[in-house]
Amino acid sequence: MSLPQFEVQQPQTLGEALKILSEVKGAEPIAGGTNLMVDMRAGTHQPRVVVDVAALRDLHGIEVTDTEVIIGAATTIAEMLESPILAKHATVLVKACSSFANALIRNRATVGGNLVTAAPCSDTAPALLTLDAEVKLASVRGMRRVPLEKFLVNAFSTIRRSDELLVSVRFRIPSATATGAFRKMGLRKVSCMAKVDVAVLLDGDTTGRCTSARIALAAASPVAVRARAAEAALVGKALTPEAIAAAAALAAKAAAPRAGSEYKLRVVEALVRRLLAEAALALTRGGSNA
Amino acid sequence: MSDRVTPKPLPPHHLPSLKQIGKPLRRVDALGKAVGATVYAGDFSMPNMLHAKVFRSPIPSGRIVRLDVSKARALPGVACVLTGADLPNARLATDLPGQTGRAQRKGSDAPVLAIDIVRFHGEPMALVCAESLEIAEAALQLIDFKYEALPGVFCPEEALQPDAPKVSGDDNVVARWQVRKGDVEKGMAQADVIVENTFYVPFVEHAYIEPEAGVAWVDEQGVITIRVCTQVVEHFRTVAKALGIPQNRVRVQGTMVGGGFGGKEDVTVEIFLALLARATGRPVKLVYTREESFLATSKRHPFKITHRTGVRRTGRITAAEITMLADSGAYPYLTPYVLLYATGMAAGPYKIDNVKIDSVAAATNQPFTSAFRGFGGPQAAFAYESQMDEIAKALIIDPLELRRINYLKTGDTTVTGQAIRSAAWSEECATRALAALGDKTPDSPTRKVGRGFASYFQSYGRITWFHDTSRAWVGMELDGTVVVRCGVPDIGAGQSNSLCQIVAEVLGVPLERVTIYATDSAVTPLAGTSTATRQLYMSGNAVLQAAGVVRASLVKKAAEMLGVSLEDVDLDNDFAVAMSQQGPGVPASGDSRATAPQSRTSCCGNSEVRGSRGLPLAEVVAKAAASGLPLAHLAQFNAPFTDGLDPETGQGDIWPDFTFGAHAVEIAVDTETGEIEVLKSAACHDVGRAINPAAVRGQIAGGSHQGLGYALMEEYVVEKGMTKTPSLAEYLIPTSCDFPATDVIVLESGTGVGPFGAKGIGEPALTPAAPAVANAVADALGVRIFSLPFTPEKVIAAADAGKDVVKPDRHW
Ligand SMILES: Cc1cc2nc3c(=O)[nH]c(=O)nc-3n(C[C@H](O)[C@H](O)[C@H](O)COP(=O)(O)OP(=O)(O)OC[C@H]3O[C@@H](n4cnc5c(N)ncnc54)[C@H](O)[C@@H]3O)c2cc1C
Repeated sequence: MSLPQFEVQQPQTLGEALKILSEVKGAEPIAGGTNLMVDMRAGTHQPRVVVDVAALRDLHGIEVTDTEVIIGAATTIAEMLESPILAKHATVLVKACSSFANALIRNRATVGGNLVTAAPCSDTAPALLTLDAEVKLASVRGMRRVPLEKFLVNAFSTIRRSDELLVSVRFRIPSATATGAFRKMGLRKVSCMAKVDVAVLLDGDTTGRCTSARIALAAASPVAVRARAAEAALVGKALTPEAIAAAAALAAKAAAPRAGSEYKLRVVEALVRRLLAEAALALTRGGSNA
Repeated sequence: MSDRVTPKPLPPHHLPSLKQIGKPLRRVDALGKAVGATVYAGDFSMPNMLHAKVFRSPIPSGRIVRLDVSKARALPGVACVLTGADLPNARLATDLPGQTGRAQRKGSDAPVLAIDIVRFHGEPMALVCAESLEIAEAALQLIDFKYEALPGVFCPEEALQPDAPKVSGDDNVVARWQVRKGDVEKGMAQADVIVENTFYVPFVEHAYIEPEAGVAWVDEQGVITIRVCTQVVEHFRTVAKALGIPQNRVRVQGTMVGGGFGGKEDVTVEIFLALLARATGRPVKLVYTREESFLATSKRHPFKITHRTGVRRTGRITAAEITMLADSGAYPYLTPYVLLYATGMAAGPYKIDNVKIDSVAAATNQPFTSAFRGFGGPQAAFAYESQMDEIAKALIIDPLELRRINYLKTGDTTVTGQAIRSAAWSEECATRALAALGDKTPDSPTRKVGRGFASYFQSYGRITWFHDTSRAWVGMELDGTVVVRCGVPDIGAGQSNSLCQIVAEVLGVPLERVTIYATDSAVTPLAGTSTATRQLYMSGNAVLQAAGVVRASLVKKAAEMLGVSLEDVDLDNDFAVAMSQQGPGVPASGDSRATAPQSRTSCCGNSEVRGSRGLPLAEVVAKAAASGLPLAHLAQFNAPFTDGLDPETGQGDIWPDFTFGAHAVEIAVDTETGEIEVLKSAACHDVGRAINPAAVRGQIAGGSHQGLGYALMEEYVVEKGMTKTPSLAEYLIPTSCDFPATDVIVLESGTGVGPFGAKGIGEPALTPAAPAVANAVADALGVRIFSLPFTPEKVIAAADAGKDVVKPDRHW
C-alpha cells in the first residue's frame, strides 16, 4: 500500500509541539519514522497529523552532569553508538546500540521512538533498565518523570498520554567499577529483531562480593523486564559460578515467553549466566564502566 | 590425527585453451547495472499510463457470496474494474509441456480471476486500474466481498484422506510418479542393515530483489505488448490463450530480471496487464509490493520424504525404497514436473540396482508451489544426503567412504535407468570441498563444532520428452562488429554475456565488439525459458552453431585473400591470420584450438602478411559481403528428444545430462542458545567448462548463500492457509554478514553437452548446501534434526537429546 494522506507539522520549539499535540485531534509525534512509517504504509496506524519532533533542540544531545547522563529522546541510535559519554559511562547501552538493526536504520531510529513503541524486542529498553533509567515526559500541563520500568506497561503499551512527548531519558552515572554486558540473540547477525535480549550491570567490591546487580530481559516477555529476584539473590554474595548459575535460573523465571517459545527460557538462563560471568571476570580485573 | 582429506587426483581430461572462453571478462550487462542505466520492469513508464492493483482473497477457502465492484467502478479516476464474472472463459494454463504437441494435463488450468470459489489466501479476484496508484488502492477498499468460509485442507496428508474437502479433481492428487528398478525385496534381503528415516522441508519464498512488475499497451498494429520481468517470454502464448486471441497478437518484451529463481517462470502480472490494456486501450502498469510478491506467487514445495535403505556391512547399498509427499498448494502449476525431478534424483548420485520410489503431490488450500532453483532437487538432496550420513553412522563407517563405495560413475544408470554419459566427479569434488575446510576449529564446552558435506547430482536442460529447442541469430556488421539476437531472458546470472562470449570466441573479436538483443518474443528468435539451468546449454549451442556458419564465410574469404588453406586460417582479435605465417611479434592466440591444427609449415605464404597481424577482419567482412557470402545466420539447436517414462516402472531418460559436485561446511552450534554459526563453507562443482569464470563463481557463491539460508533461517510459515511471514521483517533471508564467503572450487571436465563441454551450474549451486549443514549439525551434536530450517528451538532440543552421545571418530 502507498502511504495514506496525512498532514505534517514541523514545530520549531518544544512548546509549539506540545501545543499541537494537545490541540490537534489525531496528531501523533514522529521522530525517525522507522516504526511509524512502516505502520502507516501497512494501514495499521493512521494518524491524520504527524508532528515531526526529530528536529526539536530540546530533544537532542547526550549530556553528562556530575551525577547523571541525559539523552535527548530524538537522539539516534547511531549518535549513541558514537557517543564518548556513553562509551565512558554506559557500555551496556552502546553494546545494545551496536546490535540494533543495521546502519541505515540506526541513522534514523531514535531512542525515544524505541521506548514509546514499547515493542517486546526493543534493544535499548533492557540496557536502559539495567541503568535504572528514568524518562521525562512533557505536555502543556507540565513535566513528569517516571522510572522506565513503570513507563513500560505491556507489549506496545506505555503510560504515556497521547498529548505527551518523551523529552529525555536519564540515568545516574554508574559507579566507576560497575561493569555492563549485553547480548542479543536473533536468527541473523544484522537487521533482525531479537529472539532474546539480555543486559546486565554488575558491581562488586575488591573481595569479589557483589554489591549491586541489575539484570534485564527483552523479547522473552511481552515487554522488557528486570529480573529482580535474580538480582536480589546475587547482592551480598561472592560471584562464584554457583551463585551466578543460581541467579541465572531465577532470571529465567522472570521471563514469560509466548506459548510455543518456551525454548527462550533456556536461552535466557544461558545468556544471563554467561553475561554475569563475563561481568564478574571484568570486575576482578578492576571493573570497567557500565 | 590429521584434519585433512586428500583431493582425489583428476582423471585425464582435455581442456583446450581458448581466447574468450574461460576468461573472467567484464560482463556485457555490468555497466548498465552499475550506473543505473538498466531500465527494470518497474522503472518503465509511458505517457497516459494507468496504474493497476489486484484484489486478492483474504481467506484460504470459501465460496464467493458477493463480489460487488460497483462502488470501485464509480470512484472518480478509476478506468476499469474486472472480475471473474467479466472473464468467464479466461483460464491460466499452468502446464507448459514444451514443443511436444502433447495436450496439457487435464485439470491443470487455473482461473485468471476466481469464479465462485477461492482456494488460497491471496488468490486474485478482481483487477482495478486507475489514473494513479493511490486511486487504484482506494478502489480496492471499495470492493464489497462477502463469502461463506468453506472447510479447507491444509496439509497434503489430510488432502489425501477420502473425506477431505476437494481442492483439485476428485481426490486432490495433482501428480504421481513411480519408479521400479530391479527387485527391492531381494535387495533388502541382501542387506545387513536397513536404515529408515523421514525428512521434512518447508515452504520457501524466492525473495528476489525485484518484485514482479510490468507495463502493457496495445501498439499501432493492435498487438498487445507487455514489457515485463519474466523467465519465459513464450508466455505470450499463455496470454493469448487466456484472452482468446491469436498468438501473434501478443508480444512479450522481457527486461533484465532482478532475480527469478523460478518465481518468474509462471505467469505473474502478464495476463492482468494484457486484460486491462485491452479493456482500456491505454498503457497500464502493475508492480507488486513485496508483501504481494510473497502472497501472490509460487513457493518452493514442502516435502515429506521417507528413505528406507538396505546396505551391506561393506557399505554397498543394495536397495532403496523412497516415498515422497509434496504440497502442491491450491493450483497445480509445475508441481508434476517438480515432483518428477525430485523423484528422478531421489536416490542421489549413487548406483543402486534395486529401487522403488512412490511420490505424490496433493492439492491443499495453501500457497501454490512451483519452480524454485533446483526444482525438487534441493528437497531430494536434503533427504538423501542426510540419509547417507545416517547410514554411515549405523555402519560406523566414514561418510566419505560410504559415498565412495556407492557413487555413480560414467556409464552407470540412475534410478530411471538413464545412463550417465559425462564425467561424474563426485569424489573429486567432495574431497576438494572437504580439503578446503583446512584444520578443524576446536570445540568449547557450550560450542560444539561439526563438519559435514553433501554430494549431489542434478540435471541441466529440460525434460527430454519436452522436445526442447532454442534459436539464435548471429550477424556480422560491415565494420567487423557483431550482433546477436536471441530470445534469452537474462535473469541476472549472465545469460546474455555467456552467449556474447561464445560468439566472440568463434568470430575472433573482442567481447566489446558484440552487441546482443535479447528477450523479445517479436524480434528475437525464441530461445525458450531461462529455467532448468538450460540457457547456456541450449542457447549457447544455438549461438555456437549460428556463429559457426558466419565464421565459415569469413574463413573462406580470408583463406582466399591470404592465399592459404581453410584449415590454416584463424580469426583472432579482429584479424584473420594464417597460423602458419605467424612470425615474431604476432600475439599468440592461445596455445591450441580443438578444431584447428596448431601449426603448419609455411609454404605458400603471402609475403605481405607474413609476420604481420594478418588481415583486419573488417576487410574480410567487406569482401565476403561483396561476394555474397552469408554473414548472418539463424540457427536452431534441438536437445535430444525422447519419449516419456514407462508408466509402470518409471524407466527411461528424463534429462540431457547431469552436473556433479559437493559442498562442505564447518559450523559451530551453541548448545544452550541453539544458534548455529557457519565457520567455513567450501563448494566444488564440475561445471564442464566455465565460459566466464567470474560469473560461475558468482553463481556458486550466491547459490551457496541461498542454500545456507534454506538450512538455517528460511521458512514461509503458513497456518491454516494463512501466511504468518508476510514480509521481509518476518521472513528472514541471509544478509552478507551472516555467513563467511564460500570458498569456490571450479572443476572443468570439459564433458558437458553445452558449448565447449560446459555443464550447467545455475540451479545446482544451491542444492548441496543445506544437507551439508544438516550433516555438520548432526556431527556437532551427535543427533540429527530431520526438518529444515534449523531454528534455535530445534537445535536446543537436539542438543539435549545428544548430550551423552559419543561421536564417531573421523579423520576430517
Ligand atoms: C528494518 C528495521 C529494523 C529494525 N530493527 C530494530 C532492532 O534491531 N531493534 C529495535 O529495538 N528496533 C528495531 N526496529 C524498530 C525501530 O527502528 C525502533 O523501534 C526505533 O527506535 C523507533 O524509533 P523512531 O525514531 O524511528 O520512531 P518513530 O517511528 O518515529 O515513532 C515510533 C512511535 O514512537 C512515537 N514517538 C517517537 N518519538 C516520540 C517522542 N519523542 N515522544 C513521544 N512519542 C514519540 C511515535 O509517535 C510512534 O508512535 C527496526 C525497524 C526497522 C524498519
